[in-house]
Order: sequence, then C-alpha cells, then structure tokens
Amino acid sequence: MNVAAQSLWLIPALPLAAAGIGALTPRGGRMLAAGSAITALFASLVLSCLALNTALANPAVHAVHNFAWFDLGAGAVRLGWLLDPLTAFMCVMVTLVGLLIFIFSLGYMKEDANFTRFFCFLSLFAAAMLGLLVANSLLLLFICWELVGLASYLLIGFWFHKPSAAAAAKKAFITTRIGDLGFLLGILWLYDARGTLLFFDGGAGILEHASLAALSGQTVCCGLAAATAIGLLVFCGAIGKSGQFPLHVWLPDAMEGPTPVSALIHAATMVAAGVFLIARVYPLMEADKLLTAVPVHALTVVAFIGAITALLGAVIAVGQNDIKRILAFSTVSQLGYMMLALGVGSWVAAIFHLLTHAFFKALLFLGAGSVIHAAHHEQDIRRLGGLRGSMKTTFATFAIGMMALAGVPFLFSGFWSKEAILHAAHALDGSPALRSFGVVGQLPLAIGLAGVVLTAFYMTRLVAETFFGSARTAEAGDVHENSAVMTVPLVLLAVGSVALGFLGTPAFPWLQARLLGEAEVHGHSLLEGGGLMALSIVLVALGLGAGWALYGRRPRAAAAAIDPLAARAPGVVAALADRLGFDELYAATLGRLSDLLAMLAAGLDRWVWGGAVNVLAGLGRALGLISQGTDESVINASFDDAGAGLRGTGQVYSRAQTGDAHGYLRVTAIAFVIIVLIIVLGGIR
Amino acid sequence: MNPDYALLAQALLPEIALVVGALLVLGLDLAIFRRQEPAARYRLVMNFGAMAVTVALIFACSTGFSGPVFGDVLFFDTLALITRQGVLMLTLFTFGIACDARRLRHPAEYVAVILFAATGLILMAAAQQLLLAFLALELASISLYVLAGFDKSRPESAEAALKYFLIGGMAAAFLLFGFSLLYGLTGSLILPQIGMMLMPQGPSPLLLIALVMVLVAFGFKTAAAPFHLWAPDAYQGAPTPSAALIASASKLAGLVFFYRLLWPGLGMSAGDAARLPFTIGWVPVVALLSGASLLLGNIAALAQTNIRRLLAYSAIAHAGAMLLGVIAAGASGPAPLFYYAFTYAIAAIGAFGVIALVENAGRCENLADLAGLHRRSPLLAGCLLVFILSLAGIPPLAGFFGKFVIFAAALKLNGLGGPAGWLAVAAILLSAVALYYYLLILKQALVVRTDGPIRRITVPPAATATLLTAAGLLVLFGLFPSVLLGLFQ
Repeated sequence: MNVAAQSLWLIPALPLAAAGIGALTPRGGRMLAAGSAITALFASLVLSCLALNTALANPAVHAVHNFAWFDLGAGAVRLGWLLDPLTAFMCVMVTLVGLLIFIFSLGYMKEDANFTRFFCFLSLFAAAMLGLLVANSLLLLFICWELVGLASYLLIGFWFHKPSAAAAAKKAFITTRIGDLGFLLGILWLYDARGTLLFFDGGAGILEHASLAALSGQTVCCGLAAATAIGLLVFCGAIGKSGQFPLHVWLPDAMEGPTPVSALIHAATMVAAGVFLIARVYPLMEADKLLTAVPVHALTVVAFIGAITALLGAVIAVGQNDIKRILAFSTVSQLGYMMLALGVGSWVAAIFHLLTHAFFKALLFLGAGSVIHAAHHEQDIRRLGGLRGSMKTTFATFAIGMMALAGVPFLFSGFWSKEAILHAAHALDGSPALRSFGVVGQLPLAIGLAGVVLTAFYMTRLVAETFFGSARTAEAGDVHENSAVMTVPLVLLAVGSVALGFLGTPAFPWLQARLLGEAEVHGHSLLEGGGLMALSIVLVALGLGAGWALYGRRPRAAAAAIDPLAARAPGVVAALADRLGFDELYAATLGRLSDLLAMLAAGLDRWVWGGAVNVLAGLGRALGLISQGTDESVINASFDDAGAGLRGTGQVYSRAQTGDAHGYLRVTAIAFVIIVLIIVLGGIR
Repeated sequence: MNPDYALLAQALLPEIALVVGALLVLGLDLAIFRRQEPAARYRLVMNFGAMAVTVALIFACSTGFSGPVFGDVLFFDTLALITRQGVLMLTLFTFGIACDARRLRHPAEYVAVILFAATGLILMAAAQQLLLAFLALELASISLYVLAGFDKSRPESAEAALKYFLIGGMAAAFLLFGFSLLYGLTGSLILPQIGMMLMPQGPSPLLLIALVMVLVAFGFKTAAAPFHLWAPDAYQGAPTPSAALIASASKLAGLVFFYRLLWPGLGMSAGDAARLPFTIGWVPVVALLSGASLLLGNIAALAQTNIRRLLAYSAIAHAGAMLLGVIAAGASGPAPLFYYAFTYAIAAIGAFGVIALVENAGRCENLADLAGLHRRSPLLAGCLLVFILSLAGIPPLAGFFGKFVIFAAALKLNGLGGPAGWLAVAAILLSAVALYYYLLILKQALVVRTDGPIRRITVPPAATATLLTAAGLLVLFGLFPSVLLGLFQ
C-alpha cells in the first residue's frame, strides 16, 4: 500500500505532461494534442483503478508518503500524497468522467481553430483536480485548488472574443477568489497553531487525534473553539468553489464556456472540489461537535448554507429558459444537497451523491451539448422542441439523466443518493448540535423535501419543452443525431447513472462502508425508514405530474408563446428569470462598495504613494545621473569625446593612461585611505 | 615535511587535465588545426577546450578526495570540492557560448587562456596557504586581463583590458602588502595557523591596516563599491564570453577564497556588525562595502541604456548581497553564500550567452537592440526571461531562494538590532528598485515590437544546450534548493 501511495503522484503528473505537450504543440498538431490528453487521462484512469483496488484491500488505512519540499529555518515545508478510499473513489470518478468528456470534446470542438489549446487547458484542469485529490497536505491541496481556479478561468473564457465569455471567466475567478481568501486565512491559522499542514503524519497530522484535541480545546474570540473558526474559514473556500449561497452567482455565468467545459466544471471537477475538501477535512469540521458551550458549530453552518443553496438553486431553475442555465442552477441546488449532507453529519452520503451526480450531470450537460451542437448553437428551450424523433440516442440518454436527477425511484442512482441524504437529515446521527435544536433541526430536511418537488418539476419542464411537441424554429427542425464520438460517451454515462446507485442502496451500502473504512457491509432492510422514502416518492411524483400537466400535455405552440407558469404568476416568474436579482444586488452593494474602495485606492496611489514614489524615483534618478555623470563625464568624458578621433590601439593606451584610468586608481587609493581612517579611528575610540 | 607527490597528483587531477589540455590545444593548433578553414579551426579548437573541461569535470566529480594536501598548502573540504565542480561547469558554459559567439583571431590561444584562468580559479578556491593563494589568484587574474583584451579589432576591448589590468594590478599590490604584513605579524603563511597566532594579539593598528589591504583586493575581485570602477568598462568592452567568465566563475571562486581567508583564517579579528557600536575588525568594513555596493549598484543601474553596463551595475548590487552573505557565513556557514554566488553565476553567464548570440546576428549594445527578441528567437527570449527573473529574485527561480537564504542568515545574526539586519532590509527594499531595470530588459525582449522584417536568429545546438541547461538548473535549484544546500550538511 505504501508503494501505491508513493507512486500516486503519477496520476496527476500524466495529464500535466499532456498539458505540457499540448502547450508546445503548434495549432496544426490537433491529433497530437488530443491524443496525448486522452492517452494520459486513460493511463491515469488505469492507475486510479489500481489505486482503488489497493485502497479497498485495507479501507481503514490512510496510506501516506510524505517528503520535505524545502527547509525553512529549523523546520521544513513538507508535502505528501495520501491514498485512502475517498481519494481512490474520487480519482476513478474524475478520470472516468473526464475521459468521456475528453472524447466527447473531440466531436464537439472539431471545428474550433484553437483545438490544441483547448485540450491543453482540459489536461491542465484534470491534472490540477487530480493533484487536489491525492494531496496529503493542505498546502499542496491549496496550490492545486488555485490551479483548478486558473484552468477554469482559461476554459470558461476560452471563447474570449465574446465579451460575455470574458466577463464570465473574470466573474468566476474573482468570486471564487473571495472564498479562497477565507480558505487561505484558515490555512495560515492552522499552520500557526499546529506547525504542519499534513493531513496524516503518523499521529502528528492536522486530522489526527492530538491536533484535533488541541484545536477544539482552544477558545478564541466570541467563545468559538479554534477548530470551529478554522473550519468555517476553510468552508469559505468551499462556498466559493462549490457555488454555495451567497457566492453561487458565478456558476450559471460559467455556461459561457464550451459545453464540455460546463460538463467538466459542473459534474466532475471544480464544483466537486469544495465538497471533497470538506469531506477530506471532516475530522476537523466535526472536532467541535461534542462541545456544548460554544455559540455555533461549524457543521451547523454548513448544513444551513447547504439547505438554503439547495432550495435557492431549484427555485431559480424554474424560471430559466436557457438549457444550460437550467442545468447550472440545478447544479447549484444539488451541491447544496451535498453540503447539507455534510452538515447533518453524513459525509459518506455527500460523497455518494457527489459520485452519482458526477455521472448524471455530466450526462445531462453532454446531452445538452449534443442538442446545442445539432441545433446550430440554439440554447433557448422555447426555440427548440420536437427533438425526440430526430435525436433518439440523445433523447433516451438525456431522459435517463433527467430521471436520475429528479430522483425517480428505484432504478436511478440519483434516487438512492438523495434518499441517503434525506435519511441523514432526518436521523441527524452525526450532528448532536442540530438534534438538540428540536424542530429547527429538522429544517434542512424540510427544505430538502421542498427541493425534491421543484427538481422534478423543472426537469420535466426542460425535457418536455426540448424534446416533445414539434419543432418551433428552423434550427430545431433541421437537426440530426451526432456522430458516435459524441453519442457513445452519452450511453456510457447513462449506464453509470443507472448502475452506480446499486453500490449504495440501504440494503447494500457497499460504497458507504468502504468510505468509512469498514471491511464488511451491514445492510438494512429497504423498508427501514420507509415512511420518509414514501413521502419523497410522492413528492417526486407531484413534481413530475405538475410539470407534465403544465408543459407536456399541451406543448408550446410557438417560440414566442407565453409560458403557462408566467401566465399564472407573471411577477414571480420574472423575478426567477432575473435570478432573484442577486447579480443586481451585488452590483449595487458590493460592486459599488468596491468601486468606491478602488477609487479611494487609486487616489491614494496616485497622490500619496505615487508622490512618495516619484520623490524617491527623482532622488534615485538624480543619484543615478550623478553616478553616471562621475563615471562618464568626469572620468570618461575626455575618453569618450576623443574616442571618435582615436586612431590605433597605441593611442588608446596612451589616452587611457593619461586620462580616466588615473581617476579610477585615485578613487581606489582614496577609498583605501578613508576605510583605514574609519577603522583605525574606530579602533582607537 | 615530506610531501607526497602521488597524493598531490591524485588530488589535482582536474587541474592537471586543464593544464595538459591548454598545452595540447596550443600544440595541436600549430601542428594541425591551423591548416583548416577558419570556421572549422575555430570549432575544432573550441570543442577541444570544452572536452578538456569536461574531462576535468569528470575527474572533479569522481574524486572523493578530501583533506589537506602537500603539507597544509591546499585543503579540500566540501566547499572547495563543490566550488571546483561549479567553476568547471561555468567554464564549460563559457565554451558553450564561445563556440557560437563572434569569432576571434587566435582561437587556440583564447581557449588555452580560458583553461589557465579556470586552473587558477579552482586552485584559488582550495588554497590554504597565502603564497599559493596569491599565485593562483594572479594566474587567474592575468589570464582574465588577457581574455578581456582579446578582441584586438575593437578599441573598447583594449580599453577594458587596460582598465581591468591597472586596477587589478593595484589590488594585487595591496593584497601582497597585506599578506606580507600578516606574515610579519604571525610568522606563518598557513591560514589556520595565522588564526591561532592572531588570537592572543588583539586588533593592533598594523593588523587593521593589513585587513583593509586584503579587503581592497577582495572588493576588486568581487566588484564591490568603491572598488567597482573597472567592472562597467570591462563588461562593456571585453569579448562576451570573457565577460561571462569574469562575471561568473571568477566571482564565485573569488568569494569562496575570500570567505576562506576571512573566516577560517582571520575569523579571530572579525569584529561584529550585528550590534552597535561596532566591534572593530574586518566585518564592519565588509558591511560598509556591502551597503555601498547595494546602493550604488542598484541606483546606477537605473540610468543605464547599455545592456552590458546595466548587467555590470547589477553585478555590483549582487556583490553587495554576497558580502552580506560573507558576514553571515560566520554564524551559518558558507552554504547560503555558495548557493547565492553559484546561482547568480549561472544566471549571469546565461544572460551574457543570450547577448553573445544576439550580437552574432547583428548588434547587441543597447537595450533597444533586444527589441522584438521574442519574434526573432523565442528560445533566446524564453531563456533570457528565466535568467533575468532569477537575477531579479522572482520565485520559483533560484535567485529568489538565494536572496532568501542570505537575508535570512543575516537577519538571524541579531534580528533588526544592528547594521547586518538593516542591510538585509535595505537589500530587500532595493530588490524592488532592481526589478525596474530588470523588467526594462524583459520589456524590450518580450513586449516591444519592431517594425520591418523580422531577422530571425538561429541558435546553434551547443548554445541551445548551454542556455537550456543553465535555465533548467535555475528552475531546479529554485524548486529544490536542498539539492545544493544539502551538500553542506
């Protein structure tokens, strides 16, 4: 197992090498760039499977390989790799889903002039994400985290000639950066408190008992335990990266990137990073859970943020018309569910949902990509319609993805992972703090159940508007199924979206047991907690039925026809279409504030600092001129002036001897005398 | 004393290889190479020189010999062994540049003199006896004077050589005078013995004068203000490979020699610059030189338009930081000093290499001559980026870590409680100033566009390998500083 941990670096290194190759490949080398990217990721997938196999042999062990990066004073900055079931499952998921997305991109980006650059960025993205997964050090994780941010910036803004894409890239980068600031503060605090950032280090790591006991025993301001404060700061990073309220605004805009990028960002990598981070540092997040005298527990905050996000995303998704934006808000909502699961104490449920969501959301995005590609880049569902007949494979796979997301019972993976989350929110086994709240502690569950109805509703609407009825525009009328390079990944993802659920049913919670490090699987009856399951099935049926009643039964007649929901409640739908005005709110408050600060800073810069710098610069320039002057006019002038007239080397010699060289020697001698005077006089004193 | 010549020969195999190589190249040139075409002759001779250095480098890397040789005349410790390898590597880089630089007349003599210079430099780094040290220093210095004046077609070259020679001669006189005073005070020429004899004496005025005389030579060798005056002229006028050797290997070996002379030899009369008021000794003087160099180098560089003069003033500024490293080396050992000097030398030689290649294709006098380099040769522009950023001290390149370890060592002496700490802070602030003139170079090379047709520069394989190796080493040492620093543990 240690050998496996030692060679774990290969998993991110291979895509990184592919990114290097892609960066050096000229534009014409399309096959080289794409081939190396896909080969490298495939190799990483094989390695990840081997790592998973190794990790499952001893699921309770955290195999680490630590090494000193460089010495700093008396200590050393140490980094390392970590192999446990969590890392291994995530690696397999990221490489598998990533590989399918890479292959899909071959078809989707076929006509793009910057094909090689695209694959270079994709590989960089995958490398950063895999590096984040195998890191055994918060520092290494943070480095990869920022690389993920950089790569997402490059990919979202891939069509940077579109102003909206450039703006979206900037927005994603800056918004996540706000969260990263808190994350960085947390890291610094942790390093200051513990002197190491390794997760596991033979008892000395930050996630091990000694460190957790020290951090939860230490009280900082407002009665918070140090562990709570650090946990909340780290959670800030996750809020940004995973698009949680209130920093969710970047995620829908990120749809400006090419669709495979949306699939990669919203399914397998970037947004999953935040959930993974919290799951990785879970011992730290729950270190304060048995303390009773603290004002707030870290996980309680996580639970409520997650619940708010889950509901908010689902509500806004109802009012969107762009196929990718609907999926984007559904991602926001599903990430909220994952955070909710983390917050109510069941990180395995969160990771289970993360894995199933990765498959069906990648499927949905690629399906949307397939539609968009076929319909000549038409993304508005009102202007599509009737694609069921002409795009059979896309329709069938998209429908599977939709049913998985909506949580249609029993057959689809999304049902089982969502059930796991709802059950955890109901039982509250891992969160004594929430349980002590009584009814308020059940609030996340109630919000989660409300989200279930909305999810089923907006997904039904999406499918009904896009695939049913008749084509409403010329673009939608003239569609053909895409080539196999795009449909085969869809089919494979659809298989995963169904099959993955059976790894974590209550009767056979194999995945959960392995994540928790248990060698044996203790199943429950499927009917245990059957009341809640029945309730959620009813809610799903309600959502599906309402959606079908509004949009499916009488399909939209024309692209401009008014939405049946908008006809009933125009104000609400307009607000939802406006995304509840979060962007405007931020622009009016934070944007204005930062403009003000920027103006203030600019003023300070220009008048105060600029003045000081100018004075210094003037001083420096004057000194420089004086120095140059002495060098060149006093000492060199005669030489330079005469230089043009010099004939032959002999004259140079004589001129140098009689002219400036004397000056040089004189300076040397005078300096000697002055130094002797200083030192001898100093010695006498 | 019963000297063991077999041991001596074994310990000095690299030096022997260099001298034999130098003599052989002269002989072969007379007998064979001279009849070739000038271009072929030049290439043959350069390859031969590079081969001799490679052989010496292989000897230097394979011998595990350490300890005193020939009585106590030479002493091979880790520092001496690593410096020998480093100097040989830098000499090899010089040949890599010289291969493709503007061709000089009398190439065989040029190669032979470079080899002699390298011999002097590596002996200097291992010398422990004043007489041999002086001889090695002079062997190196005289060879370098010749190298500086080798381009007889340009008056600037002659000017550079003459100025370098005159100031160097004066510095040598000071050094010899200082050595003779030391001998008079202690009756010994061996450094550790001098140290022991000086211990009971205390700082007499005569000793102080001897110290200052030694330091004048030190200032000259490292181009520290106010003994720097030769540097801008020499860098500007000398043929580019010569300037590269003067800026890199000579500086490294000089620093190591003076470190050995000052700490193991004269450490007893070091004095103290970490607290005020000074304890009298040589350390306050070095602190003075360091401060003057940092200030003068960085500020005068701002006003330069000639790229070599700019590099010369930057070298003076770097000398200031290295002197700070010498002060700190008493407490923290020579590792930071060596790291800084070696990585600086690599970056400097790389920058001169780029200049040599640009010059080969046209002109490379002023900063403006670099304009549009990224379109003329992306390779050169990329390498220049690495070298200049390393000189400026931008992470993750080695230059950053060099600055970091030196300043950390200086601050460790007594925090901000005395001149050593203040110098470190001043050096950090002046790094910001330095960034300005370094970026001026990069702006020309990477940003400025030129009108008219692009005259592409073809970079021959030897130069490509040299520049890429140098740039690669800077990245490697920057990412994994313990590769170098660990050698001293």
